[in-house]
Amino acid sequence: MTVHDMKHAASDSARLEAVGGRLSRVDGPAKITGAAKYAFEQQLEGLAHAVLVGATIAAGKVTAIDTRAAETAPGVLAVLTPGSIMELKGASDWFGRPPAEETYCPLVREVTFSGQHVAAVVAETFEQAVAAAALVKVWYDETPAIVDLSDGSDGIPIDAMTKEWGDAQAAFAAAPVRVCAAYNTPREFQAAMEPHGLIARWEGDALTIWEPSQWLDGMARTYAEWFGVPFENVRLVSPYIGGGFGSKALALAHSAVAAAAAKMLGRPVKLVLNRPQNFTSYGGRAATRQTVAIGADREGRIQSIVHRGVNETAVDGMWVEPLGSVTSIMYATPNFSSKQNVVRVNTVVPGAKRAPGENPSAFGIECAIDELAYELGIDPLEMRLINYAEQDPEAKKAWSTRQLREAFAAGAEAFGWAKRSPAPRSMRDGHQLIGWGVAAGTYPVRRAYGEAMVKLLADGSAEVESSSIDMGQGTYTILAQTAAETLGVPVKQVSVKLGDSRLARAGVTGGSRLAGVMTGAVYKAAGQALDELIGLALSDPRSPFHGLQANTLVVKDGRIASPRGDGPEISIPELMGTLGREKIEAKGDTVPASFTPQQRYNNYTTIATAIPHTEGDYSRHSWCAHFVEVRVDEDFGTVRVSRVVSALDSGRLYNPKLAESQWKGGIIMGIGQALLEEGIVDRRHGRIVNGNLADYMLPTNADIPDIQTISVGIPDPHSSALGGKGVGELGIVGVAPAIANAVFHATGKRVRDLPITLEKLI
Amino acid sequence: MTSQTHTGQTIIDPPEDGHFRNGSTNQPSPTTLSLHLTINGRDHALEVEPRVTLLDALRERLALTGTKKGCDQGQCGACTVHVDGERVLACLTLAAQVEGRSITTIEGLADEDGTLNAVQAAFLEQDAFQCGYCTPGQIMSAVACIREGHAGSDEEIREYMAGNLCRCGAYPHIVAAVRQAAKELRS
Repeated sequence: MTVHDMKHAASDSARLEAVGGRLSRVDGPAKITGAAKYAFEQQLEGLAHAVLVGATIAAGKVTAIDTRAAETAPGVLAVLTPGSIMELKGASDWFGRPPAEETYCPLVREVTFSGQHVAAVVAETFEQAVAAAALVKVWYDETPAIVDLSDGSDGIPIDAMTKEWGDAQAAFAAAPVRVCAAYNTPREFQAAMEPHGLIARWEGDALTIWEPSQWLDGMARTYAEWFGVPFENVRLVSPYIGGGFGSKALALAHSAVAAAAAKMLGRPVKLVLNRPQNFTSYGGRAATRQTVAIGADREGRIQSIVHRGVNETAVDGMWVEPLGSVTSIMYATPNFSSKQNVVRVNTVVPGAKRAPGENPSAFGIECAIDELAYELGIDPLEMRLINYAEQDPEAKKAWSTRQLREAFAAGAEAFGWAKRSPAPRSMRDGHQLIGWGVAAGTYPVRRAYGEAMVKLLADGSAEVESSSIDMGQGTYTILAQTAAETLGVPVKQVSVKLGDSRLARAGVTGGSRLAGVMTGAVYKAAGQALDELIGLALSDPRSPFHGLQANTLVVKDGRIASPRGDGPEISIPELMGTLGREKIEAKGDTVPASFTPQQRYNNYTTIATAIPHTEGDYSRHSWCAHFVEVRVDEDFGTVRVSRVVSALDSGRLYNPKLAESQWKGGIIMGIGQALLEEGIVDRRHGRIVNGNLADYMLPTNADIPDIQTISVGIPDPHSSALGGKGVGELGIVGVAPAIANAVFHATGKRVRDLPITLEKLI
Repeated sequence: MTSQTHTGQTIIDPPEDGHFRNGSTNQPSPTTLSLHLTINGRDHALEVEPRVTLLDALRERLALTGTKKGCDQGQCGACTVHVDGERVLACLTLAAQVEGRSITTIEGLADEDGTLNAVQAAFLEQDAFQCGYCTPGQIMSAVACIREGHAGSDEEIREYMAGNLCRCGAYPHIVAAVRQAAKELRS
């Protein structure tokens, strides 16, 4: 739990402080001084350190484990194996579905992927645990592994992914202009700078977990079920999260090992995955393959889209990366077909990475429409406008808001698109071929019900409490802005407490939903607190406003007065003192009144109560258009992104300064995806051979040019209480195809396999 | 005693005879060193095994967790600290190597009265971070980058800050912050 009082950060300017103001990050001072204690940096007495031993095969059985040398190594407290670790109960999944197995062992005898945890060593110090873990000897009976998506069968059809209208096959066959191509994305990793890890401490049957988490209540549920203790006995603490990008929403096998070790030893245990283990202990983005076929008339109007997708999943776990999610809504088409399979390979079960589904989906359709544009000799931007979807083609509903036409216009203007020479290889600067590419992106507005506690204290300050989190999106800041504006107090008097599951509950921070959910909940709770204050001020005989002929009062800058300004004006502390109140607190929520306690519990600990983005009369999405310039060395095939202009519609921005940072972060991760990032699997042993931050290449500062972002959003009342739509995922969607399209424009070569590396160009 | 990598990070070479000295004559066990480290102007005594890195000494023994562990392999820059004013990767430096040196971590960058270093203030103003985990390393690198005279242009800043990874993608804002701080420090 962390309190940010804002006296160091806040500006006095009301314009900066209001919702929509460019207030600097209120958690910033703690982060730039090193004072911010991240979850597993807590200093505990008697802390023991655990280190994992991973399988060196991708498929087979553990036949023997020799722990003798490790057990006698200096400082070792325990060596845990599948046979010696305590038995846990199976836990339900994130939909709340019951477990397939009654028991759960986080250390395995049956290996299904390389790096899977087979043993763990606990010692007095980290160095002793690392050294002893190297002494654990494991013997295997190895069986052949499926290491790659192309090694498997056609896979398992996922019928729920099928979307069809019209007669797509016949319309494609009859179309006068056709393009059809396959687009591939490799296994990619979130690679947050903070590794996964945790500290677990038991006090009797009460478990405290300090762990970076995108979902405190969901993870608390899992721990409670594993250990058979009441949900209330588990406390998750996650004051800051050093990046998640989708990877930190679930309690994982290593989490279970640490909590079990702490229970068995009766001591707090710290377990942090080393960097290579961060590539095998949880899933990155699944490798994907898509074919996109588009049939059009000679004016460029799409007649049919036929889409087939496949993604890899694990031998013992299911992950569906929805590859038709953008394909089915970006362009108007009378005929459409999309189907998807998954193929089981020997990998850790893939997981969510920024814009799961939408990101690879956009790579397919946004490259394909570019190919269609060249086939017809139509400008790629014009091509997109010709096929602009005036309503959701799939749901057949009106868009809540869709500022995509405005995004194309604003982006093209700022980028100078009109000066583009259309032919490939027609723009150059000396040795460098220059290419300009465009692509669109979108992400659905994922909504959920939320709650928040708002307290107005006797000294005039306010507190906001929630078990939601801030992993850099700016939750601390925008909730302070929301509470300050609603209560009528200066932002520097608002403190925000997040990251503790004992606080007002919150669902998952994922799918770009948190800001919309939580600003709505804080707005409601703060409004309730304010109503109570005003009600007391008008009704309490001790109040100077008692007997005033007013229906309400106004609170501004921490002072309370009648709306007409004809009565007394006093500060909140003066009023609270007069009323004899220590505090006024309100827990506000947006949960339907009809929800039972079980439904409320499910609302925060599962994703089963998420509200569909096409609920009711509207289809709700964020939108964007990316304009990219690349420079390709003609001899060496090296690609550099030299300019990016993106225009984005995230509805109303609660804090543009922080939203722009998130957009740019998404764009930069997209540059990495397009040019650098690829998990390379060794074909002999199914091992990730580049599982570290030097060989799995992330963009560095030297790879990234200036990036211009333009907000074209308008408040969207159908998407959230305060009018915002999703921010965090949107920025990455469409970046890779914009770069691929620019590379084609520069070189005349169409690279359909990411990343676009030099050997694919020369 | 030191060598520079192309991105400006310093690697501490072993002493000329190849042996790191035990700082104490009163050695409690054959596997433990008694060290005296000067960190942020304060002396710290600690008993550690020779294999303990400066990074783990800071984080696990001295409660100085501002210096971050991102990779523990010298690849990400999150653990960047200053040793005698030069930027050093604490994960690739043994604690025993820096006895007698002056170590500065993120906790020691602001003035005693809390006045922020110009680089810290610029990072806040330019929103040059999101999750904040790489940030201490970025700031320590940036302070050294400016001091080294490698903040003359945006291109130069990008190159000499390339040893510090940021997965949130704050790079353009980091460049803006370093540019701003360099200008302030020059004037």
